[in-house]
Amino acid sequence: MDNQFIFKYSWEILPKKWVQKMERSEHGNRSDTNTDYPFQLLCFLKLHTYTRVQVSIDICGVDYPSRKRRSEVVYNLLSTRYNSRIRVQTSADEVTRISPVVSPFPSAGRWEREVWDMFGVSSINHPDLRRISTDYGFEGHPLRKDLPLSGYVEVRYDDPEKHVVSEPIEMTQEFRYFDFASPWEQRSDG
Amino acid sequence: MIAPTTRKDLMIVNMGPHHPSMHGVLRLIVTLDGEDVIDCEPILGYLHRGMEKIAENRTIIQYLPYVTRWDYLATMFTEAITVNGPERLGNIQVPKRASYIRVIMLELSRIASHLLWLGPFMADIGAQTPFFYILRERELIYDLFEAATGMRMMHNYFRIGGVAADLPHGWIDKCLDFCDYFLTGVDEYQKLITRNPIFLERVEGVGIIGSEEALNWGLSGPMLRASGIKWDLRKVDRYECYDELDWEIQWQKEGDSLARYLVRISSRRNSRGPYENLEIRRFNRIKDTEWNDFEYRFISKKPSPSFELSKQELYVRVEAPKGELGIFLIGDQSVFPWRWKIRPPGFINLQILPQLVKRMKLADIMTILGSIDIIMGEVDR
Repeated sequence: MDNQFIFKYSWEILPKKWVQKMERSEHGNRSDTNTDYPFQLLCFLKLHTYTRVQVSIDICGVDYPSRKRRSEVVYNLLSTRYNSRIRVQTSADEVTRISPVVSPFPSAGRWEREVWDMFGVSSINHPDLRRISTDYGFEGHPLRKDLPLSGYVEVRYDDPEKHVVSEPIEMTQEFRYFDFASPWEQRSDG
Repeated sequence: MIAPTTRKDLMIVNMGPHHPSMHGVLRLIVTLDGEDVIDCEPILGYLHRGMEKIAENRTIIQYLPYVTRWDYLATMFTEAITVNGPERLGNIQVPKRASYIRVIMLELSRIASHLLWLGPFMADIGAQTPFFYILRERELIYDLFEAATGMRMMHNYFRIGGVAADLPHGWIDKCLDFCDYFLTGVDEYQKLITRNPIFLERVEGVGIIGSEEALNWGLSGPMLRASGIKWDLRKVDRYECYDELDWEIQWQKEGDSLARYLVRISSRRNSRGPYENLEIRRFNRIKDTEWNDFEYRFISKKPSPSFELSKQELYVRVEAPKGELGIFLIGDQSVFPWRWKIRPPGFINLQILPQLVKRMKLADIMTILGSIDIIMGEVDR
């Protein structure tokens, strides 16, 4: 399988300080690193001849509220030359700041803005760190698990005042949660 | 009479969220010096609907109607990727016939998306006529979709492990008729547009992207192929049953808007050609006796809402008409995913816009924006 090439090679070459753990699975290989090092690691992966990971496909944040370092930032990368993909993950908590990877991968600019907007993980020296998807003047970081799905405020156009106002949310219907434990599944281990 | 003095300040113009082209609600803040563009800043977020957060609270069956709203012009791709993720996680095999149906639907959707790219692109440049022509063909595709799925645009057709229902009787013949008709349609566009001197003046040499730059910026799809890189996920990843079909990657070298137009037109012609020849004939011969057994028919073809996603991470991707559409899926041992990250091609492709419009004229912004082919539904999610 082509994915194994970058993986095995980089596992042998990279200094152990940078890479904490590497995991190989059929669904894609991942390597975990510390928050100080994603920039160096990604630069290496991009420029080194045998890895040549030139395309940063995606930078994504994940929120695990039960962990101490609650946000995890995942960099999905692709090498068109070797047709391999690799994932690099770092964990950060609410106050840790990550170095931006905009200089090797210019497309990372918007992704990092989105990670900041949705999760609150900010970058040091980012050229342009602002909110990207949420409303002007929105408070909070939506994709964290503690913000409920319906949010806290709703906006409506107020005719007497002739502009849009924000008010605390008022739901006429309860939040519907379907519990899908089916009666057949309980008999499955037998 | 006092001669008017020319002011030397830069003018900041807002091409606001409401505008008549069909990209969607995109706000561009353009800094102009006369008619030359100094800088252009796209502001997104006007169509943000929280699709990713909603996905964390819905099962796959419940979430399928939402996914067609990301890229509402090429809807089959979003559905395909939504079911591909859990299928890979659960190692679920798709019956061959369902795989063929999926490929036919995906290619029809690709044709439809490129058609609806062409219409507004020409309308932005100034040619109103192709817009009506493409809608004529798109209506035929809508009829085909409606016959198979019940809905013209937001079909809820793909399911984990296959499709929702088999094709109706006689659908294949109608599809073949459409393919024959469509070839004449594509020829008509070629005659009308491709060598039109006004069109060439507007598009040639506008918005050139080199191949290194295209890779650096993470572009994908027709934008990458128009810059000389032969990268097509259908060939590279070999998902569904694309390796049984015989076709070629369409690509160009120059990297300007004309090249992107040519790639899309020829990939449309390409989509219909080989598949209709090989596949539809093959279709009629497949009997799928194993999948017609009692067990498979009544149990595994209809996944219940309690399909559990195992605790793994996965990145699946398809070659959508706009680029590489991907889902990064982290399952929790439950029916709801823990993280559903959508990697929209339009979001990434749009990043190169400020780079490309520097030193261009104001009118070229619309050309470049049109040739990038974005849909705000997927950019903002």
